[in-house]
Amino acid sequence: MMATVRNPARDAVAFVGVGTTPYLRDAGGKSATALACDAARTAIEDAGVDLADIDGICGSSVPTVSVQAALGLPAVTWWSNSSLPFSLLVIEAMNAVFSGACTTVLVYHSSLRGAGGSKTAAADPFRVHNASDAHGHNAAMTAESPSGTYGYCAWAQRYLDTYGVGRDALGLVAINGRANAARNPHALFREPLSMEQYLGARMIREPLCVLDMDPPVDAGDAFVLTTAERARDLGHRPVLLHAATSGRTDRPFADQLEDYTISGKEIVAWRLWEKSDVALSDVDVFFPYDGFSIMALSWVEAVGYCQPGEAGPFLAKHWSAGENRVLIDGRVPINTHGGSLSEGATQGAGHFREAVTQLRGDAGERQVPGAATALVTPGGFLWNATGFVLRGG
Amino acid sequence: MSALPDDAALFERFPGVGLDHDNKGLYRGFLERELRLNRCGACGHWQHPSLPMCPRCWSTDVVATPVSGRGEIYLLTVMHQGPPTPGVDYHSGYAVGSVELVEQRGLRYTSAIRSDGIRPAIGMPVELEWIERSGAPFPVFAARP
Ligand SMILES: [Zn+2]
Repeated sequence: MMATVRNPARDAVAFVGVGTTPYLRDAGGKSATALACDAARTAIEDAGVDLADIDGICGSSVPTVSVQAALGLPAVTWWSNSSLPFSLLVIEAMNAVFSGACTTVLVYHSSLRGAGGSKTAAADPFRVHNASDAHGHNAAMTAESPSGTYGYCAWAQRYLDTYGVGRDALGLVAINGRANAARNPHALFREPLSMEQYLGARMIREPLCVLDMDPPVDAGDAFVLTTAERARDLGHRPVLLHAATSGRTDRPFADQLEDYTISGKEIVAWRLWEKSDVALSDVDVFFPYDGFSIMALSWVEAVGYCQPGEAGPFLAKHWSAGENRVLIDGRVPINTHGGSLSEGATQGAGHFREAVTQLRGDAGERQVPGAATALVTPGGFLWNATGFVLRGG
Repeated sequence: MSALPDDAALFERFPGVGLDHDNKGLYRGFLERELRLNRCGACGHWQHPSLPMCPRCWSTDVVATPVSGRGEIYLLTVMHQGPPTPGVDYHSGYAVGSVELVEQRGLRYTSAIRSDGIRPAIGMPVELEWIERSGAPFPVFAARP
């Protein structure tokens, strides 16, 4: 039995402000709270709203009390700290605005690179003792812990075995990201990448190498959302939340998922297209989450571009040799900012920033001509799959 | 089923593990070198990780019950880096897999895969073995190709 699909919030809530910080390996002594505040300040300035107009606040691990107090938001009527990926916060904020719990909401996410990433990070006591490692690593974890990292690597191996696919399928995701990141000054890694370099890169957890895993960064991102009606009176082209959903099965644990094809991503795809007035063929730019490269392949399949196991050949078929990146049907690019793999690991926040930037028409030399509809699928296929259709207002 | 050691002693034997009333039976089993997963006393359905209710019949009569430890590798990764773990050396590759146990389709337990120089692979049969870690027995799987 499936519940009836409703979408009363269709096009009712809009992104009106975008803010971020530099994406750095070391932000030089800034706390996660400082990064959240830096991003929030730029998002509020970008939106052009008064502090008194912001009556909702929603964040990831940095408490909303801290950010509200630091920014001096005088009166909020709704707040929430929510778990990652960032997209879950967007859904919460959308619902809060749509319901009237608040009218204009600040949404933020920031993270500090964990201590495990490098020798310099391990020597930094503020990282060693940081409880908000964005990857959820903690002291109790061992080699055998069935964490998300384990799950994506081990399912990637089963994917390659099941469908008879080589690692070059994963490599296309990484290479596409780098080609796009070359035109994104915000990205951490902007040098071009060859398949030979990809296949020779340091293995971390087979079959995933260092280039299949998004690099941790010190960074913050923030957005301001409000009603579509109010958005029309503000300075930017509004970006409307046309359809949004999450998806999860009753076997969401990394090692217990029933099957690669029976997962949250199938629930997301089914419900997202049921909720949406537009179809896959209307999408102008696609943002499959790529925290691990296998996730991006899985999203290409789940949203309907091809069958399970066929994403590698699909990307190869739609590869623009001249631009060294994917252009689906010669038209639709994937992760125009470079994805998390090239821009830096911000758990989906970067994908939203770029989607909003593209739909505003503000992406400069990265701009997708006439971009009106974006498909954004943050999260993976274990317990945090989400999907969005965003439209320029 | 043995009631020993008492709950306070169990916490001392497994520091850092998030012990609760739902998984204490699993860790008590470690000390007696038995892999005990939660099984429904009403309908016989197995479940892992350890949860307090049977999803098939909603019985709360869920009991940590020994499994054979036999099964096939369903998921597999060879780790070249990972969390610091006593006795684990990632330099030559450390295989970790999820074993689909013979007791029930889809019932999996994740641990190290030992294979004596043979490369482990998905689908390979395994048996349970016990090693010592931090002064307590720890379950791993041995490949039996
Ligand atoms: Zn039962």
